[in-house]
Parts: sequence; C-alpha cells; structure tokens
Amino acid sequence: MVALARKTLVYEWRRYLPASLAVAFSGMLLLVQLALVFGIFDSAAVYINASRGQVWVGYPGTQSIDLGRSIPRDAQMRLLMNPQVAQVEPFQWVNGDWRGSRQLGSVSVFVSGIDPAPDGLVFARAIPPALRARLEEPGAIIVDRADLPKLGIQVGQSGILNGQRVYLVGTTSGLRALGGVNIVTSLATAEQLNVGGDPRPAYYVARLRDPARAAVVAAQLDPHDRQRRYAVWSASTLAARTIHYWLFETGAGLGVVFMSLVVFLVGTVITSQTLMGAVAGSISEYATLNALGASHGALSRVVMEQAGWVGVAGLLGGGVLSAMVLLLAHSQDVPVGITVAGVTACAVLVMGITLFSGMLAVRTLRNADPARLLR
Amino acid sequence: MVEHVAIRGRGIGKSFTVGKVSTRVIDELSVDVASGELTLLSGPSGCGKSTLLAILSGLERPDAGSVEALGEQVWSLDRKALQRFRLHHIGFVFQGFNLFPALNSVEQVELPLSYLGLGAEETRRRAWAALDEVGLAHRRHMRPAELSGGEKQRVAIARALAKRPQLLFADEPTSALDSVSGQTVIDILHRAARVHGTMVLCASHDPRLIAHADRVLRMEDGRVLADEHHPHPPMGAHTTS
Ligand SMILES: Nc1ncnc2c1ncn2[C@@H]1O[C@H](COP(=O)(O)OP(=O)(O)OP(=O)(O)O)[C@@H](O)[C@H]1O
Ligand SMILES: [Mg+2]
Repeated sequence: MVALARKTLVYEWRRYLPASLAVAFSGMLLLVQLALVFGIFDSAAVYINASRGQVWVGYPGTQSIDLGRSIPRDAQMRLLMNPQVAQVEPFQWVNGDWRGSRQLGSVSVFVSGIDPAPDGLVFARAIPPALRARLEEPGAIIVDRADLPKLGIQVGQSGILNGQRVYLVGTTSGLRALGGVNIVTSLATAEQLNVGGDPRPAYYVARLRDPARAAVVAAQLDPHDRQRRYAVWSASTLAARTIHYWLFETGAGLGVVFMSLVVFLVGTVITSQTLMGAVAGSISEYATLNALGASHGALSRVVMEQAGWVGVAGLLGGGVLSAMVLLLAHSQDVPVGITVAGVTACAVLVMGITLFSGMLAVRTLRNADPARLLR
Repeated sequence: MVEHVAIRGRGIGKSFTVGKVSTRVIDELSVDVASGELTLLSGPSGCGKSTLLAILSGLERPDAGSVEALGEQVWSLDRKALQRFRLHHIGFVFQGFNLFPALNSVEQVELPLSYLGLGAEETRRRAWAALDEVGLAHRRHMRPAELSGGEKQRVAIARALAKRPQLLFADEPTSALDSVSGQTVIDILHRAARVHGTMVLCASHDPRLIAHADRVLRMEDGRVLADEHHPHPPMGAHTTS
C-alpha cells in the first residue's frame, strides 16, 4: 500500500504547516488558559492546600474559604472529644489595611493568624518550621515574595497594618491570594490586629490519626442540625467548594467555556481551510484515482489520515509551546495548575479540531469528478 | 483479423444545459469499438469527442441510448458496481498527467493497483513491468518534478496499463507534448493494443496521429461522419525502452 497521505504531507509540508500551527496554537491556548484558571483558583484554596489538616470546621454554608465568619470556640472541644482527632488548631482570619511607603497608598490584605508552633498545621506546607518559629515575635509577618512590590517593603523592614506596626521576618512562595495579599502572623499578633472584630476564629483545622478517613470523620463531626453554628468538611471538600465557587459564581467558568469555543472555532476554520486547499490542489489527481476505480471512501480515508497526522504534529508542537509558556509563567511566580484531566481534555479538543476539519475537507472531495478530466 | 467488439454504443444522446440554453452534444450516435486496435476519435474542437469518451467509459451518464462494455450494460450498473467495473477493466490517460507530486514513478503506478487487492510482491512486479513497457525503467525513483512532460505522460500510461485493463481510454494524450514525445506515446498505446489485445480508444484532434491509428472515426457536431480502417498502419520506427 502506497502511503499517499504521509508521503504527501512530508513532500508538501509547507502546504500543511499552517494547519499544524493552527492546531498547535489552539492546543497551547486551551491548555495555558486552563492552567491559568486552575492556577488562579488553586490560590483561592491555598489556605487549605498549603495546610496539613484533613478536617476543616467553619461557618455553615461557607462557599469559599475567604468568605468565612467566626464560629464558637466550643467547636474545638467537640473535635478533641473524637478519638480519631489527633490535633486541633484555630485559624484566625482578619481583613486588613496595609500602609507601606507613602507612594503606594493603602492595600487591602488578608491576615491569617496561625499557630507558630513547629508542628502547626496551617500553612505547614508553605512555611518551613524555622521561619514559622519567627512568628512568635510580636508583630512578625510573613508574605509571598511575589507580593513584596505590592507591599513596598523588604525583609527586615516594617509597615503599618490596621494602624499597628508589623515587621517582615521572611518570605515564602506559594502563598499568593486571589484579589489581595496574604499576610501570615501568629494567632496572638492576629488578635492584636483584629481591632473591633469578632475575636473568635473563623476556622478550626484538625489532623486525624488516619488521614484516609477524612470524609467519614468529617461527617461524624458535623452537628447536622438546622441551627448548627458550625459545619465540618474534609479539606478536599472545602477546597473543591472554594474552586467551584470561583469557577462558577464569578463567571470565570463561563469565560473558559466561551474562550474554548472561540479557540475551537478559529482552529477549525484555519485547519479546515488549509486541508480543503490541499485537497482542492490535488483534485484532478484524486479524480484520476477515482476514474481508475478508487472509491470515494478510499480517497476520504487519505484526507482523514492527513488530518490525523496534522493533528499529531500539532499536538506535539502545542505540547512544546505549552511547556515553554507554562515554564515561563512558573518562573515568574504566575500560578499555573496542570492536571492530567485538563491536559487530556485539551488533547481531545485539539484532535476534535483536526478530525472535524478533516471531515470538512472530505466534502471538498465531492468535486473530484472524473468526468471533468475529459474535456 | 477477427474483430472482437469490446464496446457497443447504441443510440447515444447527450445534451448540456447551461442557463436556459440546451446544446445537443452527442446526437443519436451508435458505434462499436474493437479489442486489439487503436481507434482514434478525431474531429474539430467541441464536436463531442471527450463527451463520447466519458459516456463510453462509464464516467458520464448519457441522456439516451446504451453502452455495452465487455458484455455489461454499463449504465444499468449502480454507482458502486460501476466503480468496480472501472477498477477491474478500464484504464485512463488524460491530457493533464495528474500525477501526485509526492510520489515517485513506481509509487504512482502502484497506487491504483493497491485498490485491486494484489499482494505487495505482485503490485511491485506489475509496476516495474509497466514502467519497463513505457521505457522508463531508469526513471523509476524520480518524482514528477524531475521528469519531462513526455516522461510524465508515459508514467501516466504505465499507471493505466499496470492494471491490465481490457479497455483503455485516452483523451488528447499527446496535445501537451512535442512531436517526438507524442510519437512515443502513440507508439506505446498502439503496442498495448497489439500486444495485450486491449481496446484503445483515443480522442485527439492531432492530425499526426491519424496515420498511426488502426481505425479513425471522424466526428462532427456529435455525429460520426466517417469510419476509416487502415489495415496496416506503420508502427513508429521510434521505439522505446
Ligand atoms: N459539463 C458540461 N457542461 C456544459 N457544456 C459542456 C460540458 N461538457 C462539454 N460541454 C460542451 O459540449 C461540447 C463538446 O465538448 P467536448 O469536450 O466533448 O468536445 P471535444 O470534441 O472534446 O473538444 P476538444 O477537441 O476541444 O477537446 C462543447 O461545446 C462543450 O462546451
Ligand atoms: Mg476534448
């Protein structure tokens, strides 16, 4: 069998290049968009994902972690009474107003009050124990290094937070917030900063003896009645609620779907036009084959095979492009999140673009009428 | 010489309608074409040569009349059966060579053979033999861009002959070629008719070909005006291979 599709692709690669590029860029746009959205919304759940607890207690109905409200302190006792619970820790949440240098004006910030003990749970994955211990100093704060320009200070310098002087004792990464700056302090410092606010914490975080039982234990611990003053979730449930909230309540999800449609459309238009042009350019050769007895089905398979190879080349190119863009983003501390499901979805969509374009190009084959060769 | 009729056309009529004007291109035409002969359809431009060729070869449906080829009523076959009939019995050579730019000569010839379901071995053997027959053994691995016009047409003829068709149709096979190449091409077609007993029907307004045909059908306005047999036309001194 003569490999007509592949030989033609190799020989006339210039003709097919636009299609492969369109596929590659479509794939890159889809994947980078998805990675950015996931990255950004992951940072909405950073409090959960950067912490070590498996169970979170908060105000009932809380849709996103940043929307927490104070809960009664007796929740802590109730948690500790459960034999599954190994450790419980309060997480204080204070909205703050930052004044760094005069030129920058005020910046709205989220103050997270955490237990600075070396075995503390909250932000355990983002702040190493040595740095964490320095939060014991009154007025000590830690921020993500990417937020330094917004705050206008360097490590060792001080600024005014909620009217009180605080000191930057160190920076870390992976703490960027959505729509503001995360500032981490000790519980004691947070209490000082919480001028006129509810002194009770917004969340309690618990570590379980058996991390795998998070969902079961969370269900056990939840008070379940209508008048409950707090609710209990597993960490993954609360993180998913938070990401879901940002994705759908903010309209960002719709934006992703809309952008994907646009990319699909543009990719399909360019790819199909290129393939149709290639078919049209060889139409008398195809017609000759048809005259000699090759069926339209056989000719269609040649075109679809070409579309398939264009797609494969585009996928490879798109993969390389995406990797480059995402690495660049990562090096610039732009939050990006890649999941196997996301990559698979993009790959499927990209192959969809090429196969759909191939089917459009197959329609051009209808012009391969051998009677037209006789004139 | 015993004549075997390969194609029997009876009462063929064909009109084309462009806008509101309908033109009669083939008019009540009946014709028999024999195997083992090179039959030339000649006549002025626009007299309907190509259209008749298309009707006799199963590419264009006539408005009236019938075509019997190798005992089959061609225009009673459905689309699939007609395609199979063409695959197994008919070869074509067109004015444009219609070669795939990406394929070398062997592959051009092998391509239509692959639809016959022959083994790789047999396919290759036939392709080489066909290229040998048109005198292009030494051009086997060249692509169309590296071949002259005459060589391209010879590859196209090899592609048509490799199937070993009983019926070979050629439309203006020499009109894009210089006289030497044209001579070579007509010799090859002639030899195919003599050696393989193929029916070769060739449409051309090239007067140089008339002397080389076994039989000349002179057409005008969709009708055959004269039917001349040349008992022993000279085979060209210019041989190939
Ligand atoms: N598909 C078509 N639609 C409309 N008119 C057509 C069509 N095909 C052929 N014709 C007309 O039919 C007539 C005969 O055409 P045909 O191609 O058979 O001529 P020909 O004898 O092969 O001429 P030439 O020597 O120039 O190739 C011409 O007048 C042409 O315009
Ligand atoms: Mg013609």
